[in-house]
Amino acid sequence: MMEMTIFGRGGQGGVTLAKLIATTYFREGKYVQAFGVYAAERSGAPLQAFVRIDDEEITNHNQIREPDHVVVIDRTLIGRHIASGLKPAGWIILNTPDAPAAFAEMFPGRQVATVDATEIAVANGLGTKAVPIVNTTMLGAIARILGLPVEQVEGALSYAKFGGPNLKAARQAAQAVRMQTLKGRAAAVAPGAPKGPVAGILDDVVGGMPTIRTGSWASRRPERQRFTPPCNHGCPAGNDVRGFLEAVARDQDYTKALEIILQTSPLPGICGRVCPAPCMEACNRSDYDEAVNIREVERYIADHGRWPEATPPTRKERIAVVGSGPAGLSATYHLARLGYPVTLIEAGDELGGVLRTGIPTYRLPRDVLGREINHIVRHGVEVQTGRRVGRADLLELSHSFAAVFVATGQQENRALNLQNLEPGVVEQGIDFLDRVRKGQESLKGAHVVVVGGGNTAMDAARSARRIGAASVRILYRRTRQEMPAIAEEVEEAIEEGIELQELVLPVRLTKDSLGAVLTCQRMKLGEPDESGRRRPVPDESEDAWFDVRCDRVLLALGQVSDLTILPEGSAVHEKDKESALLGWTGAPVFTGGDLVTNEGTVTAAIGSGRRAAWHIHRTLTGEDLFPEEGPPVAEPRILHMHIFEHAPRERPAMLRPEDRRTSFREVRLGFIDEPAHHAALLEAQRCFSCGVCNECDRCLTHCPEGILLRERDGYRFDYDYCKGCGVCSTQCPRGVIYMAEL
Amino acid sequence: MSTAPTPTKEQLSDYCHNLLRPGNTNCAGCGMSMGLQWLDEALGEDRPTLVIPACCGIVTAGAFPTSAYGVPTVAATFASAPAVATGVSVVYRLNNEDRPTVCWTGDGGTYDIGVATLSAAAERNEDMIYVCYDNEIYGNTGGQRSSATPEGVVTSTTEKGKAERKKDMMAIMAGHRIPYAATLSLAHREDFLRKVRRARSLRGFKFFLILSPCPTGWKSEAEDSVDLIRLAVRSGLFPVYEVFGGVRYRVNVQPDGTPVEEYMKRQRRYTKGKTDAAVLRRFIEDQWHYLNGMVRAFPAGPND
Amino acid sequence: MARALVTGNHAAGYALSVAGEANRQARGCAAGAYPITPQTEIIEYLRSFAFTKGYIVPVESEHSAMGVCIGASLAGARAMTASSANGLAYMNENVFAAGYYRLPIIMIAVNRTLGPPWNIWVDQGDSLSLRDAAWMQFYTESHQDLVDTILVAFRVAEDHRVLLPALVALDGFVVSHTQMVVDLPEQQLVDRYLPPCHVPHQVSYEHPVTVGGLTWPRETEHHRIEVQRAMEQVPQVLSEATEEFVKVFGRRPHTALSCEYTEDAEVVLIACNTMVRTLRNVVKERRAKGEKIGLIKEKLFRPFPRAELRAALKNVKKVGVLDRNHSPGSGGIFWQEVTTSLQGHSDVLVQDYLVGLGGGDVTPAIINDIIDDLYRRKQAAEPVWKEVVA
Repeated sequence: MMEMTIFGRGGQGGVTLAKLIATTYFREGKYVQAFGVYAAERSGAPLQAFVRIDDEEITNHNQIREPDHVVVIDRTLIGRHIASGLKPAGWIILNTPDAPAAFAEMFPGRQVATVDATEIAVANGLGTKAVPIVNTTMLGAIARILGLPVEQVEGALSYAKFGGPNLKAARQAAQAVRMQTLKGRAAAVAPGAPKGPVAGILDDVVGGMPTIRTGSWASRRPERQRFTPPCNHGCPAGNDVRGFLEAVARDQDYTKALEIILQTSPLPGICGRVCPAPCMEACNRSDYDEAVNIREVERYIADHGRWPEATPPTRKERIAVVGSGPAGLSATYHLARLGYPVTLIEAGDELGGVLRTGIPTYRLPRDVLGREINHIVRHGVEVQTGRRVGRADLLELSHSFAAVFVATGQQENRALNLQNLEPGVVEQGIDFLDRVRKGQESLKGAHVVVVGGGNTAMDAARSARRIGAASVRILYRRTRQEMPAIAEEVEEAIEEGIELQELVLPVRLTKDSLGAVLTCQRMKLGEPDESGRRRPVPDESEDAWFDVRCDRVLLALGQVSDLTILPEGSAVHEKDKESALLGWTGAPVFTGGDLVTNEGTVTAAIGSGRRAAWHIHRTLTGEDLFPEEGPPVAEPRILHMHIFEHAPRERPAMLRPEDRRTSFREVRLGFIDEPAHHAALLEAQRCFSCGVCNECDRCLTHCPEGILLRERDGYRFDYDYCKGCGVCSTQCPRGVIYMAEL
Repeated sequence: MSTAPTPTKEQLSDYCHNLLRPGNTNCAGCGMSMGLQWLDEALGEDRPTLVIPACCGIVTAGAFPTSAYGVPTVAATFASAPAVATGVSVVYRLNNEDRPTVCWTGDGGTYDIGVATLSAAAERNEDMIYVCYDNEIYGNTGGQRSSATPEGVVTSTTEKGKAERKKDMMAIMAGHRIPYAATLSLAHREDFLRKVRRARSLRGFKFFLILSPCPTGWKSEAEDSVDLIRLAVRSGLFPVYEVFGGVRYRVNVQPDGTPVEEYMKRQRRYTKGKTDAAVLRRFIEDQWHYLNGMVRAFPAGPND
Repeated sequence: MARALVTGNHAAGYALSVAGEANRQARGCAAGAYPITPQTEIIEYLRSFAFTKGYIVPVESEHSAMGVCIGASLAGARAMTASSANGLAYMNENVFAAGYYRLPIIMIAVNRTLGPPWNIWVDQGDSLSLRDAAWMQFYTESHQDLVDTILVAFRVAEDHRVLLPALVALDGFVVSHTQMVVDLPEQQLVDRYLPPCHVPHQVSYEHPVTVGGLTWPRETEHHRIEVQRAMEQVPQVLSEATEEFVKVFGRRPHTALSCEYTEDAEVVLIACNTMVRTLRNVVKERRAKGEKIGLIKEKLFRPFPRAELRAALKNVKKVGVLDRNHSPGSGGIFWQEVTTSLQGHSDVLVQDYLVGLGGGDVTPAIINDIIDDLYRRKQAAEPVWKEVVA
């Protein structure tokens, strides 16, 4: 008689394997017996099955205690105990990717055969991920060891109505199985465990914890991973966007949220109003319904959080910052927070640079600007306004300060050749805006043309409207889709009655008896340029030319850096962003902001200023504050978005368009709280927290076993009991939990 | 009486007070396990006495003398759970003990063998919470059809797919005019917890129906268990609603038109027999025709 | 003591009710009740009784009646019910559950032929079909025996040395529907006789357990042994309960095995229920004629009092067993028990007589005929059918 014991798990098909082995021999005319041990355990629980093969009728109905061979169909069950009672010449047949030699210590002196049946079964589509069904695969390996031709196995499988993939898997396993007699002496047969006492129905012991460690059933287990949220990745200022949204979403703690932002950006109220919000463009939620309205939440935080007390300088090394635009302010702030006494030098009368001169108050009220500048200055910053720094001054500064940061922005306006630049008619938008700010402009009844598609164009157009222009028209050589201006700004401009003409290039300005005439050519979109946007090319058709009558032409075509402050011959390239100009006779001089980056956004300038502060700090102290590269960005495919309920984006309250046309009052009023509708909270709660655990407890509350334990920094899986179902991984909407194969 | 070893400290661990303790023998990804976790959470310190008939729910309790249940639990014979629970509940009432008595039963015990006992206990309006975790088969015996099995499903006793439709147990229970009957979704936790707490606040017979995924019987991935229920709800196959006094209806989650194929294709009990999705679509349509009609005609009131 | 003219069902209903009421200082009493002829009057009585702390649940089936009793008992209450024939058969599964859950539930079985055919008259086959259900079984011969036995049964069942349910049987119609004079003990005496019911393994929040979960072979065997040990305690506990009964009520109830005229008897007849009363009259008459004949009244059927029976039959030559029941393919069930008890201890001749099946009267003439038959016998034969010539 040949007796075989099979070790497997419920649901893996161990009993079926026993029956298939029996079937194979039955078809050869043998007497056979196949049976399993049936108990309470379910899918995944360790089980045993038995096979007897004989030439005579089999009359022994007991479980096999001294088998001729043992088979282990689940690798996690492999252990010394499986060889207990095994006859000396018996085979140990294991489902494992390891070679037999790997078991030299566990099974010395034994004949061991191994085959990676799981891989073969999965490759042939047998079973599920949690429970691959390897029985038919193992049959192939067993047959090879028992010297059964593969045809007999195939015959048995067909006889038992197993389909093609099973036959293929069996054949593959028969070829793949590796056999070896291991060195050493086989261990003695272990005696059976002594039988312990038995509890009575009324005993006190009744009702104790189950003794089964169901963790041993698992073939996979949950692990945690972390990604970089796309908003954080996309924020040029380096804000922990997800983090501040969470502070609002979880606790409505605006002060904490503000503290999070202030780690990276000193200008949340400003960014919350004027930032083009690349974070929102990156937001994965836009793949589901609409991106989270991050900008408005940031604004709400800045306006509602409690601003922290400023700290005085603690270090000796004085640092000069030239230019008080966003990059200069950011560098000042971060240097001050590091303890440096900073002297902030500004050519204008007041701090703020382009924030003050270039952005109209209906977008950025002065009190907000003042609040955020004052917060920076309160860090013991010495302010020098009305001081324009030239090349010689810079050299001098480098002798009296430990380091100098230059962030003078872009002062040179791009011009447009209209062949006949009519004085009093054509003007730079940025200059116009500065005069409007000072109350020096009126355009009552005028027809105004603005050329350009950036925020300055919108600002100029909308300001012109507010100081009485009869009509305002924006001419842009590409389409609205390619406009660098914030989409909402464009929308608001149109709401205010401003006309937008796309694909138009002004070519020539002339004057007749009635006034100025701007001759324009229509454009079409061609191939994409280096910015990825489609390049406008002139439409050469006959009717592509037309005239626009106007009283004023405002140019908003962007600006370029004025490098005259830097040593002669200095060139800043995109690649040299924020490089230190070492080698001067004095202290190191650093540059940053639009002067070098040409990004043109407040947020990029903030990031540039912060990195400059780190550069300076590293140069002065050797301490490196630059963060290590974060984990990969959370892509939409790692998320389980379907778990979320659809929720419309919260929108800020707005001044009515008719009220805007004559007033510089702030247009966007932010989120307005209503008794049962707290927009900032609802909006922050729309955040998916992509790839970052926000302790939402879904894993914990959906664990069928109740074995996730809350810990100070997240959760612990109790692998003693985790059956490896993976529900926590599918119910983590953020993709933080994944299942690792055991 | 003889004694067995006393439990080790480890055995009397933090888990000791869990309603369903780790070490239970339910399959990985079992919907019933999840339902028990939420029942535990909803009731909190208000510990229930469980009465469980012959079903996976009692097998999972584990081998004597241990218990995977951390609350008093009685194994009832297959058809008897509501009767046994009646006995328990009556004695609690006689002794002024405000304890929730919970019948925890499968679909076999509810729809089939136990339906008379259930009906009688409901008619008598016994004070208990009756929960049917419906996996739409006799899972404990290896997956045979029950009257809760949907049309088209392949089971070990319907090899070509079940020919008959699923029984509408909620309608039957509503017909008893019990104080409260509701369906519970394992993908809608807040709704689940609210309803259990609501039921606890009411005297008399409360009926809950849980569509309970069974990876073993449904031939689905264990990790899909919750997502399958979400799909069942969104497609309209499993309506999430409540009925007050047996006559006032409220739908709690509106389906969003997710195709029922999304639900079917992840379960071999449907794909094996190549079940026509139209069969389920018709079922969904008829079900909502009825349910919407009830909601329109007999809407739940503001105090429900 | 209050002498009353009542039916057997009324008497049983009264005894159950006062026993239930007696537990009002503890966790009260509860029952599931379902009608079936000839038992119905008992549950009607229970439903109408004004319990201080008790409730009778009008269920939809006997299966649920026992279900309610199981739940009530596990919740610590004194639990009782009653049924007959097909009702007992329908209840069967839960009868076993109550037994192996070790719950001291008292059930009245008004014996009726287990159909089909549709027959409402007396036959002990219905309750005897539950002999393996881990219940004590008492068979009563009269109204008074019935009342006394019910009260004694509560005391024995609830004794922690026993903790087993008990079934108390009476003859359908012959007792159940027959009005006779009986002493119905007053509540205060019953209160004195029955201590508060305490089920040691009742549901507990301090020590929660799962009652009735999966149990491995070794544990199961151990639990079976525990039941057997509990059964073995019954004679001792019963005898104590009987003595206490005498103290409280001033009357001696029948014991497990009533041996009458057996000391010098050469022939002994064994019977249960009302058959015993006819038998006793016949034996008295034939004794008066000098015949060495005696009788044994089998009251306690489970546990079967084997040792007492062997002692009583030590010097007897022939034994006749009257069985108002039939186990097809074998014979009378009492006969099986008697022969098993004597096996290896005695070479006495034991003959089985199947009498009064399906509710026929067991008349003195039939019994005389049986005695004559027994006198003639040299060796035992297959069970003899007395009503109809087979």
